[in-house]
Amino acid sequence: MEGSEYIVEMKHITKRFPRIVANNDVSLSIKKGEIYALLGENGAGKSTIMSVLFGMYEPDEGEIYIRGEKVNITSPRQATKLGIGMVHQHFKLVSNYTVAENIILGSEPQNKLCGIIPHVDIKKANADIAALSEQYGLKVDPTSVISEVNVSTQQRVEILKMLYRDAEILIFDEPTAVLTPQEIEYLLEIIRGLRANGKTVIIITHKLEEIKAIADRCAILNHGRLIDVKDVKETSTSEMARLMVGREVSFTVDKTEAQPGGTVLKVENLTVCNELGLEAVKDVSFEIRSGEIFALAGVSGNGQNELADAIAGIKPVKKGRVLLNSRDITGMTIRERIEDGMAYIPEDRQKVGLVMGYSLKDNLAIKNYYNARFSNHKIIKEEAFEEHGDRLINAYDIRSSEGNKTIVRAMSGGNQQKAMIAREIDMNGKLIIFMQPTRGLDVGAISNVHKSIIAERDRGAAVLLISLELDEVMNCADTIGVIFDGRINKIAKASELSVNEVGEYMMGVSATGVSAKGGDAE
Amino acid sequence: MKKYMVKLLGGEKHQMLRISLFAIVVSLIFGVVVLLIIGNNPFASYLNLLQGSGLAPKRSYAGRKNMFTDFMNLLDALTPMIFASLAVTVALKGGLFNIGVSGMMLAAGFAATVTVGYSSLFAGAAKPLVLIIGIISGALVGALIGWLKYRFNINEVVSSIMLNYILMYVFTFFINSYYVDPVSRQSTNINDAARLTIVDFKAFGLKFDIPLAFPLAIIVAILIRFIMDKTTIGFEIKAVGLSRTAANYAGISIGRNIMLTMILSGALAGLAGVTYFCGYVGSIQPGVVPSMGFNAIAVALLGCSEPIGCIYASFLITIISNGSIYMSSQQGVEIEIADLITAFILIFSACSEYIRMYVSKAAMELNTAGEKKGGAQA
Amino acid sequence: MIDTIIIDGLTFALPMFIMAVGGIFSEKSGITNLAVEGLQGFGAFTGALVMVIMMNSMGNGTQVPYYMSFVAAALGGMLYALVHVILCVKFNGNQVISGVVVNILAMSLTSFLTRRINADFFGQTSNKFILETSIRFDVPVLSGIPVLGAAFTSVYPFEILIIVVAIIAWYVMYRTPYGMHLRACGDNPHAADAAGIDVKKVRTVAVVLSGGLSAIGGMSYAYSISANFSPDIYLGFGYLAIAALIFGNWSILPTLGACLLFGFARSSGQAIIQKLGMPSTFNDLVRTLPYVVTLLLLVFFSKNNRSPRALGEIYDKGKR
Repeated sequence: MEGSEYIVEMKHITKRFPRIVANNDVSLSIKKGEIYALLGENGAGKSTIMSVLFGMYEPDEGEIYIRGEKVNITSPRQATKLGIGMVHQHFKLVSNYTVAENIILGSEPQNKLCGIIPHVDIKKANADIAALSEQYGLKVDPTSVISEVNVSTQQRVEILKMLYRDAEILIFDEPTAVLTPQEIEYLLEIIRGLRANGKTVIIITHKLEEIKAIADRCAILNHGRLIDVKDVKETSTSEMARLMVGREVSFTVDKTEAQPGGTVLKVENLTVCNELGLEAVKDVSFEIRSGEIFALAGVSGNGQNELADAIAGIKPVKKGRVLLNSRDITGMTIRERIEDGMAYIPEDRQKVGLVMGYSLKDNLAIKNYYNARFSNHKIIKEEAFEEHGDRLINAYDIRSSEGNKTIVRAMSGGNQQKAMIAREIDMNGKLIIFMQPTRGLDVGAISNVHKSIIAERDRGAAVLLISLELDEVMNCADTIGVIFDGRINKIAKASELSVNEVGEYMMGVSATGVSAKGGDAE
Repeated sequence: MKKYMVKLLGGEKHQMLRISLFAIVVSLIFGVVVLLIIGNNPFASYLNLLQGSGLAPKRSYAGRKNMFTDFMNLLDALTPMIFASLAVTVALKGGLFNIGVSGMMLAAGFAATVTVGYSSLFAGAAKPLVLIIGIISGALVGALIGWLKYRFNINEVVSSIMLNYILMYVFTFFINSYYVDPVSRQSTNINDAARLTIVDFKAFGLKFDIPLAFPLAIIVAILIRFIMDKTTIGFEIKAVGLSRTAANYAGISIGRNIMLTMILSGALAGLAGVTYFCGYVGSIQPGVVPSMGFNAIAVALLGCSEPIGCIYASFLITIISNGSIYMSSQQGVEIEIADLITAFILIFSACSEYIRMYVSKAAMELNTAGEKKGGAQA
Repeated sequence: MIDTIIIDGLTFALPMFIMAVGGIFSEKSGITNLAVEGLQGFGAFTGALVMVIMMNSMGNGTQVPYYMSFVAAALGGMLYALVHVILCVKFNGNQVISGVVVNILAMSLTSFLTRRINADFFGQTSNKFILETSIRFDVPVLSGIPVLGAAFTSVYPFEILIIVVAIIAWYVMYRTPYGMHLRACGDNPHAADAAGIDVKKVRTVAVVLSGGLSAIGGMSYAYSISANFSPDIYLGFGYLAIAALIFGNWSILPTLGACLLFGFARSSGQAIIQKLGMPSTFNDLVRTLPYVVTLLLLVFFSKNNRSPRALGEIYDKGKR
């Protein structure tokens, strides 16, 4: 196969997981020295196919050829030997090691003390890495400790890890999700530099602008199938978007004009710190009236989690006030807020929203089990739990194998999400916070969630919708706020903003005082 | 092999129970092998265990003793074990690992001994007082561990170990300084009025011990089960145990429940302490951390971390340890073999989670294999 | 008096130090190791057994059995550590539970075997292996230094052995590729895995080494405290070693400091009590010091006290 123009060929790859087919007969051919993009929605199978290439999953069917030779990649180690490197979405770095130690880990340069006793040659490592970072224009200090450098530096360390191992095929999994616009620009420059050095780059993303900016070709996946491979220069972004979603993008939710009433939530000059003690939310103020959907748009990691957690009482407030129905709730416990009519659908349903080891009925009653309805002098009324569970199961079409007694862990992600939303909506709250409510749901389920959000508004609740999906924001919002680097840099009526304008605010463009600080690390 | 394992241990229903029983059976088989190797009759040895525990008649009895005497002795040893394993179980439900049962037992035993045990109170006041002091002192140690955990985020395992030894050495000092019996080198025996076991009670021409707190142990086990499964207190404790973040999000106070769990666990350990030191033994051996506190961890696991399961598991372990004296005298076999069999039961029950995973994986493999076969035929 | 304090302090501190180093190896790789107590006991058992057998066959007057007993102890500790490996690394069991169970098994197994072997091979009913008293020596020249010379006076050979082994252990941990892999596994096993490191293998080796190092400590105690092996070896020094390594923040050198502190506190306490003519029971109060100090340290400095990040976490490759 001498002289094959493809460095990577994946033929008819099928990968099944217990509930879904993640890749269905996908074939990709990637040329040496090109930037190849994999485009698709969440759950389209882009990460899976690259995990197969990197040896983390073994495909159920199909063959892989690297440089024309058939290979059987069973581990990342083997992939590394074949010259394949991958930067994962969650960086895999040892937090208390230096940059250099992280890069050499697993293939350390060695020297012999007194000619006999082997040891890691850290001096050589530092020098090698300094040279490497010079060569590719990746600025790092080899001796600084990982936990003390920002996200974008950590990403450069991941890239250097691949280069140090002489990887020729570099896979990037959603590399820009955690970066600021400046950092993104820098990263794209680095990737172009890699191509100039003869490397082959595969980039997984769902951001069309980036693909347009750097990719040569683009494969589009949808529901595990390869839809098409396009030459980026000759394809418009709207064409790519249409292929990616598999339908016209312009789907909107039916909703009437908002009939806002009095102010329900008022946030005044709120400042909140993240786990590292850094200010993640900075001096944020806004208010939401009853019957209004306030959608907060923003790129991941710009303080949305901290803001929602602070309003719900999970994170302490550093400065500022939160008022619910004109009552200052800043110092109140979580339970007091719940009793005051605050419902919250958190982003992480497995860790936060649900007790995975509890049954469905227990989870559905977990916010009001102590009410007279569910217990009497601390003794649980079993029938009330069951009845309440069954009612919500029917009303919200929550599917599970053993009805209200199913352990939540055994349910599918979509049904877990439905259960959580059902519980929160059933509380008839005055304020409902939806944090990424449609993450990981299929299209049908998404539109149901959107309908419930609007129904809640029409019932007279104040809705705070925090979403990373711009479509969702544009479709549901009555008022849009945009958060960037912990600050809300624009609040306006939804009708007064175009998608592009919101996008620009999300990137911190046209905001006052654009800052180059990264989001938080995890 | 795989198939039989799946058949035997697969499926959700009572799976943990079946796995525990499996652990016991395998360990007993292991015991048979060891006994055979060292040249003993394993079945006679096991029968001796039952005989020594008063569950089977011995060939002959000393004066004023019979099977009933031995059985009462078994219950006497069983009582603290039930309490101790309940203490571990309650902590496990709340997601905490109480390795400090030993220290709590010592605290309770010592406090009750030096206050009521050496006083001249009459039985009707002394005995309840011993129980109450036991509960309070155990609960205080528990509260300290809980407080260190939620206030300073100190791992409960670490603080428990430290406290075990601190308490042990402090009490050793006091016992050796003030309360030591020069002959036994233990603390002086407590007064019979305060003792929770009536020793050498004479009736029906027999002489036997009556563990007064045994019924209490059963009642408490049932009570704990009720609290855990049927009340909002248990609902909160278990929610915190399963997921601290989710419980917090739902408005359940983490600190309060960590404290509550450790206080409850400590109170139970305190009951174990008084029924052991002021009941079964009657004195405290200085310089030793009671091993029952550690064994109780394993007994709780064997009992599937369920209150009622603890009763059965304690029963089994106590039969082995209590019956071993008779076995060793009859068979001339080392008394340590009983501990060895117990240790193996514990090892296997520590593997229960792995066995569960293994079985469910094997079941899945068998299923898919079956499907493929079925597909080929179709 | 200062001499006694230094001599006794070192005799107590060094065996604990090597046990703590054992604990560090395991915990730095991410495996919680409460099994140190059992590992040191089992190691002392095998060491004592070999010593007794060799003394019987070779007779007195040679130092070979003495050194062989440490080799045997280390091997026995390593072998026995496999139980912890199987429960935690292979079976993904709860590491705390496994540690407790491993200790319980060690106690019952060694007591049983000691009795059995005494009965079958030496024809005696005893739960002890009587060891020869260890020789002690003065290091030439150094022992002549005023005050500090005491550190080189009346030295047990095992103290030298421990220092040598500890230096090697330090080198392995901080200078070799294996040590680098080991520490990476304890911080972020996923990162180690992504770098092509076999996490389970690294942890297995770490726990096995931990067994060997703990065993050397146990054997030393068998010589220095009682000159025999009996169930009394399970006095809780293994747990004290864990306190020391927590105090030492999971680093070898600070842990040495902690052990020396514990050792000298103990020996000076004893010396003071003796000097003041207080009853020897007061020694028990002195013995609480290491635990109290460690607990207070955790209360006041828990922010600076960082256990390995992935400590006690079950690493399952399938989970991401």
